[in-house]
Amino acid sequence: MINLKNKEITPGKLALIFSAPALFVLTVTVLIPIIYAVYLSLYRYKLKRAKKPFVGLENYEKILTDEKFWDSLTTSLIFTVSVVGVIITVSFFLALLLDQDFPGRGLLRALLLIPWAIPDVVNALLWKWLLHPTFGVMNALFSMGGLIDEYVAWLSSMPSAMIWVVIAYSWKNIPLATLLMLAGLQTISKTLHEAAMLEGASAWQRTLNITLPLLRPTLTVVLIFETIFALKVFDLIYVLTSGGPGRSTAVLGWNIYINTFKKLDFGSGSALAMILGLITLFLAIFFYSFLDRGERQ
Amino acid sequence: MKRNKLKRYILIYLASAVFLTVFIGPFLWLVSSSFQMENQLFKVPPVWFPNPVSTESYREIFMGAIYDESYVSVYGKSSSYQARIYLRSFLNSLIIALSVSFFSVLFGAYAAYPIARMDFKGKYFLLFSILVVRLVPALALAIPIVLFAKKMGMNDRLITLIFINMSFVLPYVIWLLQAYFKTIPSELEDAGRIDGCSRFQVLNKIILPLSLPGLVTTGILAFLLSWGEFLFALLITETEKSFTSTVVAAMFATMVGDINYVTIIAAGVLSVIPPVLFALFFQKYIMSGLLSGAVKN
Amino acid sequence: MRKAIAFLFIASFCFLGTALAQDTDVKLTGWPYQVDVVRENLERFSSQSGLSATFNPFPSNEYHTKMVASFTSGTNFDVVYVRDSFLAEWASAGWIVPITGLPGVDDYMADLPQGIIEQMTFDGEVYGLPYYSGNSVFVYNQRLLKKAGINSPPKTWDELTKQAITLKQKGVVRNPIVIGLAANENSILRNLEIISAGFGGRFFNDKLEPVFHQKNSGVKKALAWIADGISKGVINRASISQGDGEIDKFMRSGTAAFTIVTDYEMKVLNDPKKSDEAGNIKNALVPGSADAVSGTIGYVRLYSITSEADKAKAWKLVQFLGGKDATGAYYVPKRWALEFGLGFSPAPLYKDADVRNSISGWINPDILQEQAKYGINRAYRFVPYFSDWEAEAWSEFQEIINGADMDSSLDKLAKNWNELKAEY
Repeated sequence: MINLKNKEITPGKLALIFSAPALFVLTVTVLIPIIYAVYLSLYRYKLKRAKKPFVGLENYEKILTDEKFWDSLTTSLIFTVSVVGVIITVSFFLALLLDQDFPGRGLLRALLLIPWAIPDVVNALLWKWLLHPTFGVMNALFSMGGLIDEYVAWLSSMPSAMIWVVIAYSWKNIPLATLLMLAGLQTISKTLHEAAMLEGASAWQRTLNITLPLLRPTLTVVLIFETIFALKVFDLIYVLTSGGPGRSTAVLGWNIYINTFKKLDFGSGSALAMILGLITLFLAIFFYSFLDRGERQ
Repeated sequence: MKRNKLKRYILIYLASAVFLTVFIGPFLWLVSSSFQMENQLFKVPPVWFPNPVSTESYREIFMGAIYDESYVSVYGKSSSYQARIYLRSFLNSLIIALSVSFFSVLFGAYAAYPIARMDFKGKYFLLFSILVVRLVPALALAIPIVLFAKKMGMNDRLITLIFINMSFVLPYVIWLLQAYFKTIPSELEDAGRIDGCSRFQVLNKIILPLSLPGLVTTGILAFLLSWGEFLFALLITETEKSFTSTVVAAMFATMVGDINYVTIIAAGVLSVIPPVLFALFFQKYIMSGLLSGAVKN
Repeated sequence: MRKAIAFLFIASFCFLGTALAQDTDVKLTGWPYQVDVVRENLERFSSQSGLSATFNPFPSNEYHTKMVASFTSGTNFDVVYVRDSFLAEWASAGWIVPITGLPGVDDYMADLPQGIIEQMTFDGEVYGLPYYSGNSVFVYNQRLLKKAGINSPPKTWDELTKQAITLKQKGVVRNPIVIGLAANENSILRNLEIISAGFGGRFFNDKLEPVFHQKNSGVKKALAWIADGISKGVINRASISQGDGEIDKFMRSGTAAFTIVTDYEMKVLNDPKKSDEAGNIKNALVPGSADAVSGTIGYVRLYSITSEADKAKAWKLVQFLGGKDATGAYYVPKRWALEFGLGFSPAPLYKDADVRNSISGWINPDILQEQAKYGINRAYRFVPYFSDWEAEAWSEFQEIINGADMDSSLDKLAKNWNELKAEY
């Protein structure tokens, strides 16, 4: 009887039933606003002007022909590539470490979440203070270590501003990526490793041939998400540099804020957000199709 | 063998020490600063250990929460409004984070399973459309979502924030879980289905228990994401009944001359505790060995 | 079963978390400065007027963002705090209404200086009464100056540079001057306006046409002075990332000797509990040049009535908070001035002995009053497209200070302004 029941429900329908609650939440909360945002992007919707005419793709056109957009895109890409590189590398090794069996690792795992648990307003203060040109701990440490002669105003010039923004962002997000990688590592059967060790494989070989391949689905997801997060970054830029010095850290997320909340131009802000969304979507599809192959081992 | 074990432990603890310093170091400096007097904060070179130790900020927050306006400190100041309502806002944040965590993992697991295990038309469409929600920066969706919430009369309510946070968390949860489910060897499921279990039972009895590390990890992820959420907490809540800890923390920074930096830092330190405790409590479920046992059976 | 319990758990909090529909007469919102004091004031208002009032603040730094969202989705606040920096924005979006024609307006206007009224005006109409207001002041550290053998503060920007070089060479302060040049609301543009005024320059003329890009404009001189100062090391390079709210730390710790701050910040600078240099920070007239004695910018925070409000009731609250209470005294403004050192505008308060005595402790009131005379006209700030232009301007100025070509960048900005003007 049970088997018959199964055969009647197609996989597609089953998938729909199973995902119904999730889809409900998503539709009710976000789908309608997204549609509204797309709708807004087709209008000249400035809060300070009375007339809000339909202008089709004019907002998009204006953005794509604006030199500042392409600069901003480049900045976003530089930031994203740097940040994703740092995060994935460090979190991989950190996850390997935490996967080992040793006393205190539970505590270590929980403690490592701290950077991520710090609320943004405090994180902002923390980094502003660490990097402060006069009282900053970083300046003090570097000076004591003989790396610099004079205290430096890190956020006031390039490339140090971008470098520190990358560091601050990575610092906050590595714990998360580590946690995700760790869970992926945990599902890799230890017996596989044991068998390989019996056959004389070194730690390095085991990592290369067992861990990495099995970690692929997880790695793909982490890569995709860290890329998505990084492309959208706003909070950190807002508090640390306000897009400065000049426009050197004005990423796309910052420009969306300026358009929407400073210029009160909802049409343009929405359009820029859609463009960013499309770029991110393509990247996600790209990563997924290249990296995630197959479900069975 | 023992030599190797020793070497291994030394390497592990050394690496741990390095990571701890990098990731917890700044936080420890924050903690130290929270016990200082404000003018000590601006000293060059920085003061590493508070001298004298001042618990004034913590007392302002704790005593203020208990005694309301009637608490007067040794300096003749009573607790500021923000300090008084701070701990109460923790309750709101906790309700939101716990609910989001629980329901996201529940709904997400069910949605992820068909995607990981079954083939059906529109699978990739489903997967990527779930992702679409997260491609557009929250900033651009902020106004539409707030508008929609107000129209539905769901303004200033915790349930609204629960829904909103869930919809941001679900894509991650679903993507992550579908990756984890894929790493579970399919032999186990096949065995179950041969025994006559329906998909539903397979999911409940076999997959979910085995993917506990993944479930817990995504649960912690969901908790942390919603605990630290600020933008929508700010835009949706109107009265102190629903303020979350992030909103109240932001209220500590008022005008120059009134900002008490030490209290802001103390507030930040306190806000790290619940997520870390949550992670500490659940991290014991992120352990390997479950899988190897199952395979043997 | 567990799920059912969880659901009930959540459902119960739905109801607990609901904001009960308030039957309050007047709802006030703003930022959380001294919330208890504001609420005390509201209680006094209620007992005097018989109207109920509540105060519901939001975080200061996000106040503007929150209110934009709130207004866009239909706010239910009656009276709101407004900063002059976004007055034009909110007025042109139709979110706040002018107080023209309301009972008693003319009396209040008579007590206020013209410069302040201008800062509360959009399109010819006044949009509220002041919460607090004042001017930017130039401050210096007397102790550090004396240490380097300087006995009086500089009167011109050139003199300032010379004094700064002396301080630097004598090893008293490494980077004597710090100025808020960060790309945000109260920093780079504002300080540029002040310095330019000292060089006799303006950004826009009376017809609201850009003049800053003209040859030898005061603005160009100001930018050049800043860039030069940074390269010489007399202006702290960190200024580029420091905003208005961060400059005070440099003065408090004695790592800077000169800066420009808003007047009420001096209270903190001279507070022994918060500043190592308490007692040493003095105010002087903002330096000038051959073309101008001095220059400064005023600022106003005001109470405005929203378009959704019951105008009559809201006006009663605005009068109480920004004007006189039922006893006919400027109760609330005086309280802010006396207890917290906030700037004030109503003329009667300048003569009030209590107030004079209280602020003399940390600022020189005569110089302060003198400085107000040099406030520049900033009508250009009150056109709707100003905030559009401003956002571009901030980053452009930073680029110039960092070495970008001044002439072409300023020309670009002028063009931008003209384009926006034509559009609106």
